[in-house]
Amino acid sequence: MTKKTKYAIEVEKLTKSYGDLLAVDDISFTVSKGEVFALLGPNGAGKTTTVEIIDTIRAPSSGKVTLLGMDVTKNKHDIVHRIGVLPQGFSSFDRVTVRETLQYYSRLYSHRNTDIDNLIELVNLKDKAKEQYKNLSGGLRQRLGIAIALVNDPEVVFLDEPTTGLDPLARHEVWEVLQGLKKKGKTVLLTTHYMEEAELLADRVAIISKGKIIALDSPAELIEKNTDFQVLTLHSVDENVLEIIRKMGFEPVPDNNREIKTRVKFADDVQKILSAVKDAGALYIGLDVHKPNLEEVFLKLTGETLHDGHVVKKRFK
Amino acid sequence: MNPRVVYANLFVKLISVWREKSTMFFTLAFPIILILLFGTIFMSQDNVEFHLCLQDLDQTKSSVDSVKALEAEGKFKITRVDPAVNAATYVRDNKVNLVLVIPKGFEKSLLRRKFFRDFNSSVTITYVYDPSSSSVPTKIQIINAVLAGINQEMSGIPPFIKSAEKSILTRKYRFIEYFIPGIIAMSVMTLSLFGTANSNTELRQKGIIRKLSTTPITRTEWILSDILYQFIIAAVSTTAMLLVSYAVFDVNLHLDAWLLVFIMLDVFAFVGIGMILTRFVKEAQSAAAAANAISFPMMFLSGSFFPIELMPGFLQKIARMLPLYYVNEGLRAAMIFEDTMAALRCATIIGVFAAVVFILGILATKWEEGQ
Repeated sequence: MTKKTKYAIEVEKLTKSYGDLLAVDDISFTVSKGEVFALLGPNGAGKTTTVEIIDTIRAPSSGKVTLLGMDVTKNKHDIVHRIGVLPQGFSSFDRVTVRETLQYYSRLYSHRNTDIDNLIELVNLKDKAKEQYKNLSGGLRQRLGIAIALVNDPEVVFLDEPTTGLDPLARHEVWEVLQGLKKKGKTVLLTTHYMEEAELLADRVAIISKGKIIALDSPAELIEKNTDFQVLTLHSVDENVLEIIRKMGFEPVPDNNREIKTRVKFADDVQKILSAVKDAGALYIGLDVHKPNLEEVFLKLTGETLHDGHVVKKRFK
Repeated sequence: MNPRVVYANLFVKLISVWREKSTMFFTLAFPIILILLFGTIFMSQDNVEFHLCLQDLDQTKSSVDSVKALEAEGKFKITRVDPAVNAATYVRDNKVNLVLVIPKGFEKSLLRRKFFRDFNSSVTITYVYDPSSSSVPTKIQIINAVLAGINQEMSGIPPFIKSAEKSILTRKYRFIEYFIPGIIAMSVMTLSLFGTANSNTELRQKGIIRKLSTTPITRTEWILSDILYQFIIAAVSTTAMLLVSYAVFDVNLHLDAWLLVFIMLDVFAFVGIGMILTRFVKEAQSAAAAANAISFPMMFLSGSFFPIELMPGFLQKIARMLPLYYVNEGLRAAMIFEDTMAALRCATIIGVFAAVVFILGILATKWEEGQ
């Protein structure tokens, strides 16, 4: 039965366990129609399980999920016509071309008027329309996956880690496609472990850790509410700089490529650190001071940072 | 059920296999290679000619006539060994497995028996042979039969028991005609079993089944398209096998609707088993191994290649419990013996089996995950 609601998705006290493992632990949230909503968290946090329950692939252990006013456990047949899904690790038939694949999925929905050319153009695959799936690069495959998710002109689109495993260029190309979806006013539920992706694309972000939502708001609000500092980054620093800053009472965090990030609350903190480094005769090649981003929020909330979806423990929280 | 969805699925499966040229080739080529190989080996099974070395130490008219009589039997191509050499050394040095030695005094003993009625007069033909060779017992058996004929003829008394052959068939069938229905049954089994278990496990492993479960396609539509696909592949493969058999071996087989019935039942039975396997194996490689474990014993035990009567009694009992046995028997009943009742009996048995495993296969097919 369909009930009228302003929400595209309503999740209430959702729990999913596999034997003794509690993958999703009593989570609740709503996604408004036309909203881009991101579940952000490391691998194994429960993002995919949550999405797969909402998009009807899995059944919940308990709780209630309503999609477009319908209970997902009882209305799968009606729901699948109104959603589009890019599952995690999307794959397709190796020897079928881009165009044939889209025609195939269009036929599954019995859509006689799907504009395949328009879809191909939307995901920027015009040059590859006659290419077989096995010959496509990772980025092109994900773009085809997104096109397939749109083949039935769905009201809600689920994108489970759409850019995982892609190189930075391919990731940016996929982001362009997703921004196009946002402009078209589609409701999108996105999972990611890339902070930049969530910050760039999502209207609201739920940070999920160990099966629980630990924060939920717009990226700007999350940053505003959870940070009262700026981030000083020193580039290409000498090895002893970390110790110098630490002795001053700050909590520097080493990053890749010989970078050190330090939270600073006051403007003269920056001056103090730079003077101390200079006095010690240590070198750095560049610096910048910027507002914190979701990465710092995630670090503050969990004490962890993510690298390719895996948790990397950091010192300060 | 939506026929458009079934068609879409069928189309994708067919163009995938069409574009996979190597798979397509081996799918069609493997049974044809078997037919050509076994057909050639057994083409003149009734006219097998053995190589026989013969040393005539007597060198008389009678001994030469006896050798000619043996040659006239048609089973042997005879090489004459020089009487001066040692037969055992000849066997070893020339890597032959049998030398038949006609002793000196052969004609003398023969004449004494024939004209002087001396029943104590006899000769001993010696077989000098390599016991490690498997064809020796057959050769000795044939030579003994020829010698028994000569002995009987020399006794001058007509035989008491005679034998006559009367086949219940209107015509005599050849081994290749017996072999082809078995190869058809075996190929359809292999294609259906491997095709289903392998491709479904691979699609599940790649996450394609998970993606499909978020679309309107139902489990019934998926399975139906799979059955149609397997039936088309089986029909193409069978047609290719029959064309080669007619073209190369000029076979004489009776082709009617029973052939289609048995192909269909064969497909249903082994797609069903393939679907059950898919439920229990995680990866495509394991699926292939499991399908091998089922199909290999089945193809050898169920009489695809040779009659099960050649096997020990307990194996024959096992053979009669295998589904492929009834496809083999049914196809032979229809294609060789034109025995409708036997075909119907086999079709009923394999039909019930196919229905049961197919229903179990449908129940075992997982569409949604983690339910």
